[in-house]
Amino acid sequence: MASVDARGLTCPAPVLRAREVVEKEAPGSIEVIVDNAAAVENVSRFLGSRGYAVSDTAEGNLFRVLGTLEGEEPLSAVKPVAAKVIEGDAKVLVLIMSDRMGTGDDELGRKLMVSYVKTLNEMGPSLWQLIFVNGGVRLTCKDSPVLEEIKGYEKAGTIVLSCGTCMEFLGLTANKGVGGLTNMLDIVLATENADKVVTFS
Amino acid sequence: MHGLDFPTDENVLVGKGTADDAGVYRVSDELALIQTVDFFTPIVDDPYDFGRVAAANALSDVYAMGGVPKTAMNIVAWPVETMGLEPLKAMLAGGAEKVREAGAVLLGGHSVEDEEPKYGLSVTGYVHPQKIWKNQGLREGDRLILTKGIGTGILNTAIKGGLASQAEVKMVTETMATLNAAAAEVVRAFDVSACTDVTGFGLLGHLGEMVEGKCRVELETAAVPILAGTYDYAAMGLVPVGAHRNRDFRQWMVKGLAGFDPILRDILFDPQTSGGLLFGCRAGDAAEVVARLHDAGLEDSAVIGTVCSDDAGITLC
Repeated sequence: MASVDARGLTCPAPVLRAREVVEKEAPGSIEVIVDNAAAVENVSRFLGSRGYAVSDTAEGNLFRVLGTLEGEEPLSAVKPVAAKVIEGDAKVLVLIMSDRMGTGDDELGRKLMVSYVKTLNEMGPSLWQLIFVNGGVRLTCKDSPVLEEIKGYEKAGTIVLSCGTCMEFLGLTANKGVGGLTNMLDIVLATENADKVVTFS
Repeated sequence: MHGLDFPTDENVLVGKGTADDAGVYRVSDELALIQTVDFFTPIVDDPYDFGRVAAANALSDVYAMGGVPKTAMNIVAWPVETMGLEPLKAMLAGGAEKVREAGAVLLGGHSVEDEEPKYGLSVTGYVHPQKIWKNQGLREGDRLILTKGIGTGILNTAIKGGLASQAEVKMVTETMATLNAAAAEVVRAFDVSACTDVTGFGLLGHLGEMVEGKCRVELETAAVPILAGTYDYAAMGLVPVGAHRNRDFRQWMVKGLAGFDPILRDILFDPQTSGGLLFGCRAGDAAEVVARLHDAGLEDSAVIGTVCSDDAGITLC
């Protein structure tokens, strides 16, 4: 049974911790320990929304919320509840896997990618995350031809991330000019949570 | 303030006795001063937006009493060493923008060093002594109107948890930063029996203050304007502690809770930041009031209930 100790955590942390475990491990049963009644309700409601049968017990000034999966369907087969967004603006994740677009001519490919990154501006607030992997990480380096554009997207609220392993492999970690570093697990989770994933290589 | 004794005099038109939004003091037969103060810790990440929201929130009480803001002073707590001056300047610029928009002037302010930033205003407004809008005074047959959608507490919890989209952050920020000036302007032209603004106690909490044992309100829960995304986040359990507290404090007054959707119930108790005006007007005027509010840009305005005199409390329909 998965166990989450959410004592001392303030709202919404208990729900977020439970959600993290549920989405990563899809446990058949999960126990969440909290220290206030409001958290019992919030965590119970969250687990219920994910298909768990919920019960809770009080022990002194602590509460244990217990969730057990009913039926055969494993939780991993259930699509995660996507946060509902305002009509029109979906959360788009763009995964850029090279510093050039298409094959045939590399010079042309690099120019096309520069143009694409600049034109991403048209997506507006839908551009939720911009993730760069493999050769794509060259575009977030200090000498990138689109450094200012990507900085602009970050300033406007887009999450900008480069694969840490890729930067290290290519010897570029010290050259990063914009955004943070990410890893394969977070990339997988992000692609799951996005409403739409656009990839370019 | 419970149990504390304060001196008073006959010029106090609205004091701490009636759970009103601000204090009102008569200066002459034509003029009374509204005095209010409000400040809090950051609700949104962007300092300029936080300044706008904090100021709009503080100014709101003046509109809710039927008055117009005249002067304001800043109240600031700031960690100068760790956060520096740039975000402080942006925050104050946001606050100043709202004070200017309200047609009032900033006369100065006071700041203290603090680990945790806080911002707000003390505000003075003018109102005619005969035209003060109090929280209590709803008449039988009145219709209840709300001028902004609810859900900011739940949406801010989702934002804090990193789950909201950029569009949602923008939407919540804008609704909190909207002054109640335009709403008050529309409402002033009509016969209003009672008025308040919806803030920390949630819709049901503030409605409870308006009712306070004197009448019964039938709340048409399907008609209550709710901000987009609120229901889904509430369904995930992203309900702030304040909503639970509001429920514990007021649910004794509310009938119809048995079998009522608990998610919607939490939304109705969700603490709001800088919410809209909630007021009672004559049934015959209600449609026109809402039409004019929509024309003024307050598209979420809606009639949400009716006042009855057969009992006391709030019935959820």
